[in-house]
Amino acid sequence: MPRRQAIFRWQHKCAPYLFVAPFVVVFCTFGLYPLVKSLVLSFYTTSGPRSRVFVGLGNFVFLLSDADFVKAVWNTAVFAFFSVFLQLPLSLGLALLLNRKRLRGRNFFRLMFFSPRLVGMVFVAVLFVVIFQPQFGLLNRVLHAMIGLDLDTKWLANRALVMPALVLTSLWMYVGFNMIYFLAALQAVDRNLYDAARVDGANAWQQFLHVTLPGIKPVAIFVVVLSTIGSFQLFELPYLMLGNGGGPENAGLTIVMYLYQNGFETGDLGYASAIGWTLALGVLVVSLIQMKITGAWKRGD
Amino acid sequence: MAEPRPRSWPRDAWCAVVEGFPFGLAPFIILVLAVVSGGWLLLHPIRPKKTTLRLWTFADIHARAYQKAVPAFEAKHPGTTVDVQLVHGVAVTSRLRAAFWADLDVPDLVEVEISSAGTFFRGRIDDLGFIDWTPWLKQSGFYDRIVHSRFAPYTCKGRIFGLPHDVHPVMLAYNREAFRELGIDPAKLDTWDAFARAGRRVTVPGSRYMIQLSDSNASNLDPFLFQRGGGYFDADGNLTMDDAVALATVKWYIPLVAGPGRIDNDIGGRDVFTRAVESGIILSFICPDWRSKGAETHVGSMSGKMALMPLPAFAKGGRRTSTWGGTMLGITKKCRNKKLAFELARHLYLNADDLAGRFKELNILPPLRDAWRLPEFDEPRAYWSGQAIGRLYADLAEQVPPQYTSPFIRLAKAKMGEVVSSSAAYYRANGEAGFDVFVRDRLKVAADYVRTQMKRNPF
Repeated sequence: MPRRQAIFRWQHKCAPYLFVAPFVVVFCTFGLYPLVKSLVLSFYTTSGPRSRVFVGLGNFVFLLSDADFVKAVWNTAVFAFFSVFLQLPLSLGLALLLNRKRLRGRNFFRLMFFSPRLVGMVFVAVLFVVIFQPQFGLLNRVLHAMIGLDLDTKWLANRALVMPALVLTSLWMYVGFNMIYFLAALQAVDRNLYDAARVDGANAWQQFLHVTLPGIKPVAIFVVVLSTIGSFQLFELPYLMLGNGGGPENAGLTIVMYLYQNGFETGDLGYASAIGWTLALGVLVVSLIQMKITGAWKRGD
Repeated sequence: MAEPRPRSWPRDAWCAVVEGFPFGLAPFIILVLAVVSGGWLLLHPIRPKKTTLRLWTFADIHARAYQKAVPAFEAKHPGTTVDVQLVHGVAVTSRLRAAFWADLDVPDLVEVEISSAGTFFRGRIDDLGFIDWTPWLKQSGFYDRIVHSRFAPYTCKGRIFGLPHDVHPVMLAYNREAFRELGIDPAKLDTWDAFARAGRRVTVPGSRYMIQLSDSNASNLDPFLFQRGGGYFDADGNLTMDDAVALATVKWYIPLVAGPGRIDNDIGGRDVFTRAVESGIILSFICPDWRSKGAETHVGSMSGKMALMPLPAFAKGGRRTSTWGGTMLGITKKCRNKKLAFELARHLYLNADDLAGRFKELNILPPLRDAWRLPEFDEPRAYWSGQAIGRLYADLAEQVPPQYTSPFIRLAKAKMGEVVSSSAAYYRANGEAGFDVFVRDRLKVAADYVRTQMKRNPF
């Protein structure tokens, strides 16, 4: 019997490790190892994975003076700015509108606004490339008829218009998607608080400011952080709409596109790793700042 | 009290299994689906084709032509099988790079597009994934039978890593009827200055443009740069994108695409281009041989209304052509039977009779001079107003300038694109005032950036 007891105790001790083992194995193979490997690689200049020369912090030092990287950071930051300050207010506005009980066909509108998210990114990019065409593109035709815009306006070949075109496309894709988060949050706000606010004489704006916003704050913080991280990871949309070059004068080059160019076109996996780690650090810092500003760590939130 | 309903044994067994499963019905169903689908996959594995040689190409027209030619090769080499695989143009580069890096799934032969070829020459020369063709070309005598300038884009440190598929001489395609109606005589357009003058006379902003060019990238600048004898790199791999030829070319090109004297419109590709040519918005376009087939296919309604002429020269008596695009055939170091691979290359690329037949289908002029003597190159083409376009292109082939390459060719072209875009914006805003200084400065900044990246390359 003592032998059986010993086996049982051993099984009892081992069981948790056995249960987490599949995750640990997968994570170490596809998560931890590539992370460590890329950190090591970031100290090398490489030509593919085999030929490499140690350069110490050379890649990181060069990054700071690399005009293309600086441009990519700027473009990504501009896109992230519009994602947070244009896209999210629009999403919230739509959510408020479609949260009204008396609105007819609100389920239909919810579906309509959400539906662009159901379409693949590649399809969206192809669609918008056609919409932005000069001469025959839908956007130019409409704007020409409405405000007399030049039919030759090249949205994707003019450095000043590339970013607005990308922002416009992402608005179409994501406004409805983020609306769903806000809608869920709005429906979770306690109705009694509105009744109490009305009894206290609060008008609609005051109710929004003092009841709705605090009520949806955790979700809003989540959406802001997620949108920011998503914006910093922007790759497919400009890659498909502008080609892998980043558009005229790199007006649509993003950090991840630049990483891809260096890693998978030039073959310098070391420099690409350095870009990747810098991006990760940047996103971490921005997210921490956002969480600090929004008070995400305050007790009770 | 109601009696429990009697249950049949399969139902009993099913309930026992489901109830006995520790996490409920849903995980049980997931498990069953996983086991069934996994089992099905195990029982129906996709076995790799067992072939002697595997060739990747990115162009469907190439793939179709090779698939036609392969049976004859297989008959000539009993027991040999060749698998021609069509891989998308963007994917072929990344897949090939990944294959080289991982030493997995490397094809025996592969076609690489000219703009990507140079990027495969990064690294130590002995570590490159392709074999050197030079000894075979010289030994077989083909080196002297192929247009020499076409080796340049696939040569690195004096070694040829690709067999050229084409020459791609450039002509000017124009709307013959529109030219006649507008009083433009193509015979008098023997210089670009004459062409620009005619263009300014007939261009009507918003509705008619003399030529399709781009003001936002360098793809249309390249043929002009090469025509003038310039380029991005010299034969030794030194960067030349900011030399006097490049400066003169950019300064000449920008007033064509920007400002009040603009005669171009970069309308876009595919359907939009088709409509622009059909509707007379675009009167002419730069037309390498491969694009002439594109016009026949995509702008079919213009049959009999289009014609080709040699490019106007930069000075009277100067070069009347340039080059745009290209493809190389590489044999990888992982190729299992290199001798047979050379034979296949000879069969697909250097068989004059086949090449002549293929020209009829694709309009692509092969670099093997022997082929040009065949009658297929003298056949008049109805689409091109009865012109024998094979002869027209072949007559220009020896004038095609070399395009030297480097692992940094893509970067250099991207930077030249920035020069074009920023110079066009400057010219639109300021005209000639300070334009020379601006272009010089932009070229220097662009070239310095490429040189800095080249210096960082220790290989």
